[in-house]
Amino acid sequence: MLKSQRLVCSLALATVLLARPGVWAGQTTALPNRAESLKFCVLGDFGTGERPQYELAEQMAALHRKFPFQLVALVGDNLYGSERPQDFKKKFETPYKPLLDADVKFYASLGNHDAREQRYYKLFNMDGRLYYSFKAPKQDVRFIVLESTYPEPEQIRWLEDTLQTSKENWKIVYFHHPLYSSGGRHGSDLKLRETLEPLFVKYGVNVVFTGHDHIYERVKPQNGIHYFVAGSGGQLREGGSEANMPFSAKIVDKTQVFLAVEIFENDMSFNAISRTGQVVDSGLIGRQDTKGRAQSRSPGL
Amino acid sequence: MNLRLIRASVGPALFIVLAVALCGPTASSKGLPIQDQPAVKPGVNEDAQILADFKRRVDEYAALHKKVEASLPKLSKEAMPEEIDRHQRAFGAAIGSARAAAAQGDIFTPQMQALVKTLLQRLFAQSDRRKLRESIMDENPGNIRVTVNSRYPDTVPLASMPAEVLRNLPQLPEEVVEYRFVSDTLILLDPQAHIVVDFVPRAMPR
Repeated sequence: MLKSQRLVCSLALATVLLARPGVWAGQTTALPNRAESLKFCVLGDFGTGERPQYELAEQMAALHRKFPFQLVALVGDNLYGSERPQDFKKKFETPYKPLLDADVKFYASLGNHDAREQRYYKLFNMDGRLYYSFKAPKQDVRFIVLESTYPEPEQIRWLEDTLQTSKENWKIVYFHHPLYSSGGRHGSDLKLRETLEPLFVKYGVNVVFTGHDHIYERVKPQNGIHYFVAGSGGQLREGGSEANMPFSAKIVDKTQVFLAVEIFENDMSFNAISRTGQVVDSGLIGRQDTKGRAQSRSPGL
Repeated sequence: MNLRLIRASVGPALFIVLAVALCGPTASSKGLPIQDQPAVKPGVNEDAQILADFKRRVDEYAALHKKVEASLPKLSKEAMPEEIDRHQRAFGAAIGSARAAAAQGDIFTPQMQALVKTLLQRLFAQSDRRKLRESIMDENPGNIRVTVNSRYPDTVPLASMPAEVLRNLPQLPEEVVEYRFVSDTLILLDPQAHIVVDFVPRAMPR
């Protein structure tokens, strides 16, 4: 069966499942919150030091009390404006103190506004590297973190090697510049897509998280891969998205948002949560195999 | 000349220029003001010479950067912001001493400044000019005085560098220097030392 046919079948199945509560996007899908699952958040474009960032951080802390996520994937633009020692405190350490105190690990990628010296910052866990990968503390998941402002050939070679040798069931890649975005300010980075997407498809990447445009967007699966833009972790471009992009599945551009994600075996559940604590998008993604076929009982989105 | 090296070290547009130059003796850039340029060897493209000269100057800076880096205590991979700041300031001071006589134009020679402006003009002509300009001006610190060897101001942001701009400028040695805009001035920033290495005034097309 062709990949496109499979997607149609998945969508048809999804339509049927819409009637079942708690299964499908469009209704609020609760995170299962299993003890053995990998739980993490995705946050981007956040380090403003201003009230909306702090309010969203409070929502993250509130979520952590009932949904104890182990790590936060940072998709870049971690500090806006100056980057003095006191800025690290105001724009990162203070708002996320409850999470840092609870030993939540933040794994950063760098955005176009970030000084490269951030890679030495202990609390970003980059170990002095601009791009790196790490195995998740639970479940069979590998995270691959890229530097997308200067995607040099050496990094692309490293990416291919890493993807090729990664044996984990879930391959999750994150970086700053979106391959698909309805953001009116930046939009999709087509050159980067040209470089990265063939590798993602070839080696069975499941999910890609990015930021840069200050909106939240879930993209319809592209070549079997699920893409998210989570670029409103502090910054927000209200009404900053272009309507009617054919690839767009859901856009939130009226409030700051972070993503809470849970992976258990072949299922990935997600909630996009606003600074007032509302779930503004949610759903369940079934893991694809390297040929884009769903491995889960759940439909692809 | 090593084609692979060129492909890896310059943007695609520049590669085309060089490739044309290497294929025939008549290729030449149009309208680049050439001042104090070294004698052009017959059959060698002028832009290629300017780029090669720029690369040589950047490489010289990179060698100095690495020498200074080796003389300083190594920054921990698990540093706190105060350590990063201390290291940066020490690095900047050491570079400043080592090239105390440096002046604007040492790396961006007048020929290279003209070529940079031409490349950016071409890019702007081919792109959504308004969107590109907006992207460059996003968090641009505006009119601040830039001098060689000065510390990049602590209280202003590092402006966004759109990927398409970077792709159209000669690639720089990773982790040694990077391009940034301050108002419409293109600067070469040493991110580890946090100092301005050189700059091109009025580089962004109007």
